[in-house]
Amino acid sequence: MSWTLALPELVLACSGLVLLLAGVIPKQETFFPITMGAIGALLVTAVLVLGQGEGTALGGHYVADAFSGFMKILALGAAALGLLLSIDFNEKEGLGRFEFPVLVLFASLGAMVMISANDLMALYLGLELLSLPLYVIAAFNRDNARSSEAGLKYFVLGALASGLLLYGTTLVYGFAGTTNFDRLADAFSAAQGVSAGVIVGVVFVIAGLAFKVSAVPFHMWTPDVYEGAPTPVTAYFASAPKVAAIALLTRVLLGPFGDLAAQWQQVILLISFGSMILGSFAAIGQINLKRLMAYSSIGHVGYALMGLAVGSDTGLRGLLFYMAIYVFMNVGAFAVLVAMRRQGRAVEQVEDLAGLARTDLGMALWMAAFMFSMAGIPPLAGFFSKLYVFLAAVQGGFWTLAVVGVLTSVVSAYYYLRVVKVMFFDQPAGALDRAPASLTIVMAGTGLFTLLFGLFPAPLLAAAQAAAAALLG
Amino acid sequence: MTQPLLADYFPILVFLVIAGGIAAAMVGGSLLVARQKPNPEKLSAYECGFEPFDDTRRRFDVRFYLVAILFIIFDLEVAFLFPWAVSLGGIGWFGFLSMVAFLGVLTVGFVYEWRKGALDWE
Amino acid sequence: MFVGAIFFPLLGACLSGFLGRWLGDKLAQWATVICMALAAVCGSLAFAHVAMDSQPATVPLLTWMDVGGLEISWALRYDTLSVVMVAMVTFISTLIHLYSVGYMSHDATPTRFFAYLSLFTFMMLMLVTADNLAQLFFGWEGVGLASYLLIGYWYDRESANRAAMKAFIVNRVGDVFFMLGLALTFFTFGSIEFDTIFPAVAQHANDRFAGLPAIELIGVLLFLGACGKSAQLGLHTWLPDAMEGPTPVSALIHAATMVTAGVFLMARMSPLMEYAPVALAIVTVVGASTALFAATIGCVQNDIKRIIAYSTCSQLGYMFFAAGVGAYQVSVFHLFTHAFFKALLFLGAGSVIHAMSDEQDIRKMGGIWTKIPVTYVVMWIGNLALAGIPFFAGYYSKDAILEAAYAAHSGVGAYAWVCGMLAAFLTAFYSWRLLILTFHGKPRADHHTMEHVHESPAVMLIPLLLLAVGAVLTGAVFAPFFVGEHAHEFWNGAIFNGEHNHILHAMHEVPEWVPLAPTVMGIAGIALAYVMYMAAPGLPTRLAQMFSARPQLVRRLPLIPAEGEEQQTEPNPGGLYGFLLKKWYFDELYDFLFVRPARRLAERFWKVGDARIIDGMPNGVASLAAAGARGAVRIQTGRVANYAFAMIIGLVLFVTLFLIGR
Repeated sequence: MSWTLALPELVLACSGLVLLLAGVIPKQETFFPITMGAIGALLVTAVLVLGQGEGTALGGHYVADAFSGFMKILALGAAALGLLLSIDFNEKEGLGRFEFPVLVLFASLGAMVMISANDLMALYLGLELLSLPLYVIAAFNRDNARSSEAGLKYFVLGALASGLLLYGTTLVYGFAGTTNFDRLADAFSAAQGVSAGVIVGVVFVIAGLAFKVSAVPFHMWTPDVYEGAPTPVTAYFASAPKVAAIALLTRVLLGPFGDLAAQWQQVILLISFGSMILGSFAAIGQINLKRLMAYSSIGHVGYALMGLAVGSDTGLRGLLFYMAIYVFMNVGAFAVLVAMRRQGRAVEQVEDLAGLARTDLGMALWMAAFMFSMAGIPPLAGFFSKLYVFLAAVQGGFWTLAVVGVLTSVVSAYYYLRVVKVMFFDQPAGALDRAPASLTIVMAGTGLFTLLFGLFPAPLLAAAQAAAAALLG
Repeated sequence: MTQPLLADYFPILVFLVIAGGIAAAMVGGSLLVARQKPNPEKLSAYECGFEPFDDTRRRFDVRFYLVAILFIIFDLEVAFLFPWAVSLGGIGWFGFLSMVAFLGVLTVGFVYEWRKGALDWE
Repeated sequence: MFVGAIFFPLLGACLSGFLGRWLGDKLAQWATVICMALAAVCGSLAFAHVAMDSQPATVPLLTWMDVGGLEISWALRYDTLSVVMVAMVTFISTLIHLYSVGYMSHDATPTRFFAYLSLFTFMMLMLVTADNLAQLFFGWEGVGLASYLLIGYWYDRESANRAAMKAFIVNRVGDVFFMLGLALTFFTFGSIEFDTIFPAVAQHANDRFAGLPAIELIGVLLFLGACGKSAQLGLHTWLPDAMEGPTPVSALIHAATMVTAGVFLMARMSPLMEYAPVALAIVTVVGASTALFAATIGCVQNDIKRIIAYSTCSQLGYMFFAAGVGAYQVSVFHLFTHAFFKALLFLGAGSVIHAMSDEQDIRKMGGIWTKIPVTYVVMWIGNLALAGIPFFAGYYSKDAILEAAYAAHSGVGAYAWVCGMLAAFLTAFYSWRLLILTFHGKPRADHHTMEHVHESPAVMLIPLLLLAVGAVLTGAVFAPFFVGEHAHEFWNGAIFNGEHNHILHAMHEVPEWVPLAPTVMGIAGIALAYVMYMAAPGLPTRLAQMFSARPQLVRRLPLIPAEGEEQQTEPNPGGLYGFLLKKWYFDELYDFLFVRPARRLAERFWKVGDARIIDGMPNGVASLAAAGARGAVRIQTGRVANYAFAMIIGLVLFVTLFLIGR
């Protein structure tokens, strides 16, 4: 049987089950050991992914190639970092329940299935496996009204998006007669004209996935859910599911629907425009950091989708590269957000950072690095990621896209730099509590990556290149 | 074309006729034989212990909900098991082991429910 | 070994810079010193391995960037040329680190200083071991940055900040040319890897760019870049000002290492320069002029560090014209010996300054040689080496340069030789002027200072003594390798001499009086200094008055400090003396030509362009953006129904678009 190819997923699934049992059977609370076990399982899975072969398995439902490897490593890394962020926060907020790491683990499994999906059915399964745990952890702080609200909103809208996706799937199946990506691609390349039903179906599928990456106009849930959910959950939301959904969107559009590029390109273009513009403008007025990061993530998705809209080899490389860097700086910035506590209480307003440079210079410097990087200021990592997608856009002749991208990144620089200004030049609002070691490690790790990336971009670029080549064949 | 297609559905027709006949017989039998002493409570539709016509935003014990969810899960499990059992000869070891894996996952879930106390009413 | 020599300094810099607060001052200092010492050991081993055993090596690190046709990787190129530099830089830097432990002992933030110092060393090593022009440029900018940080180390001093900025900006002017040269190299050769460029030079010898021979143009551009870093005539103005930095910095950066980067560049690019005769002629003329020009200024300066700074400038001129006549080996040899004795002089000067309670004006010194005998002796040795007195290091290299200039048998060679001879005379003169005014005669410092004159601690003296040994011996020991009979095996192709370039051979066959002449000039210079400052102390003042437009402004010795004098700028007596004292009015000229017009232009831009036009637009745009932001936020109602509605609307829009666009 070819299921050995899916070994990483199987290992992750089994370890999830084992951890669930290990967590529930002992009488006392097992949050910490289970979290550690989950992180370990994620890392082991990542190692297995690295050693994974290439090919399709499970009756053509599952595909492994350089692209899936790249994205899975990203998603797993983001999940592991997200768990690391959650340890201290959850314990202090009284959320230290072992279900949390197990849920994150299953969500990551869903993300992996999505990334490796080679069939519309597998796609939907992965998507739901990712979404259901997310609904739960969004409402994980269930005694908090905002958290429950976030979970409920996410659930209702997510169900709607799933419905759209399923409807699109049925349309495509109905008109093309298959759900397998390879056979869909054959069907579309052979046919002269494509029926309207397929196109409507594709749009529905795009809509369902765009919801997951929170691209305009399917972004509405993002600010509310980001704000309401516990901060480490938000950190996770902003990284791994995005990676998985972007990966899936890319695979679906360039794989089975690759021959319909002329049609979907317009939609992706519009989504990209809308996300960049909304992400940069709407964040200006935000005073809540998590909301600000929500808009920021919308904007970043816009930039990343720019690479997909271009559709070329360089565009795809830019997209992968962008996601990789985005995940790291995003997790870093959230590490700072998670660490924001005053007298034991979590705070999340921009003003709460005031004068941080004087009370905790280290944290202020890391945050400044992340903010500068997100604003795309050279020589930080964020600059390179933007550079590559803009370059791809220009090379592909998408001048307007590149120009809008540059303009909106200028606008977005305003609110990123405002955070820096508040930290360095405003009167201190009272010292924040000392960040725990786990967060400092995450900050320093991602911060160093952000700072020093410019010196050694080659390995990541090469990996992105290989991944892009695998997809475009 | 239509003739064979309809012929395929003939057993269903038979099933419907028998079911309808039995139902009619039972209702008719009770109408003819039993004593009729109606009151409003008896005449209202049966709603699992709730008032049939009432404000929908009524609170009810969350334990109902929990039991219902758990019931559905295991009910579905059974629904999967029947076709599996019927076609076991055709799907071989792979089919068998797939279902074992599925049941294993369900068992893990069951252990979780048990330990969490979801199965205790009090 | 190869990697260690380069990265130990970086490790030291990181230790001191990032962890200095936890390690504590003492530990951080010694950590950097130890790292440097390890680097020096590695450097020496590498020297023995590569230069002595003739086993050049290239250590690839990793790929840096791969953009279009441009592929750049990090690699360490170890051939004789770079290994000479690596050994010299690590060795001297180690001594200077050690010295700084003593010199900076009263400083508030020594960890910062040591971090910068180690960072500088790392950058310099990056520069000399570069495998391609981009890596070289990285090191080039890195040393520029580190020198900016170090010159401006005492950032609470206005003058230090100004000097740092000046150094950075003037260097930047040179860097522009370097970058142009780099771009043109890539344009011409399609690569900036040395290994690709050098064999290809002959094929591209006749390439033209914008009507000009490309190779010549590259040569000139790179030389102009080198001018900035190496303070050659025209771009030299930053070097004397850079003396605002702590003295060990002056010794490390502005004598031994960074300023010689330009010379190194010329030697490194020798395969290319050999095909650019016009560029070489320019190098020769500029170098020779600088040698003479800086020496004339050195004769009248009064700040002990500035004198040595001008002397450095002048010696760099020597190195350039040696390269210009094709004797790169000789040039690098002088660079090598110069590093030892010039670092010695600077550190000696630092020791003097330390002893004199931070006094730098030699007119306020004198009569202290009995009190600081070790410093006195090492200063003598340094000056003897600088003046080119036989059997000291400078003698071998400077003589060789002048012989090479003579042997060039060309117009520019002759010009260089004449300038060089005159400069040799002046060099000896100002060196002894410095020596005599500083150490001999009656004490001119005030009573209080004189009481505190003391010899420096051992941690400062040990580097001085080691450098003194170097200043005595390096010439004699290494001359056979660098320029003598073993030269061919020693260089092992690291430096390229064209087919018709027999200068190394020819310089040994000059008439017999030629090798003697520099020595004679040197001794004459010393003699003149003796006459003027020992035998007849009134003479200099009278001479100065004779060559001044306003003689009454010339100050007499001993200098009697008047009340509030420190704030006054020194009066300008005009005439030839004033011309020299004011350094040929270069600063004033630049101020007039560039600085003030630039400021006026900037003011115009600020008031009209920026305040009205540029600010006007963004302010309008900004208010628009704010309005947009408010609008965007208003959509965010918080109601799930509205959100779902937006999603459906978007979906309908897209479907419509799809069907229309089909």
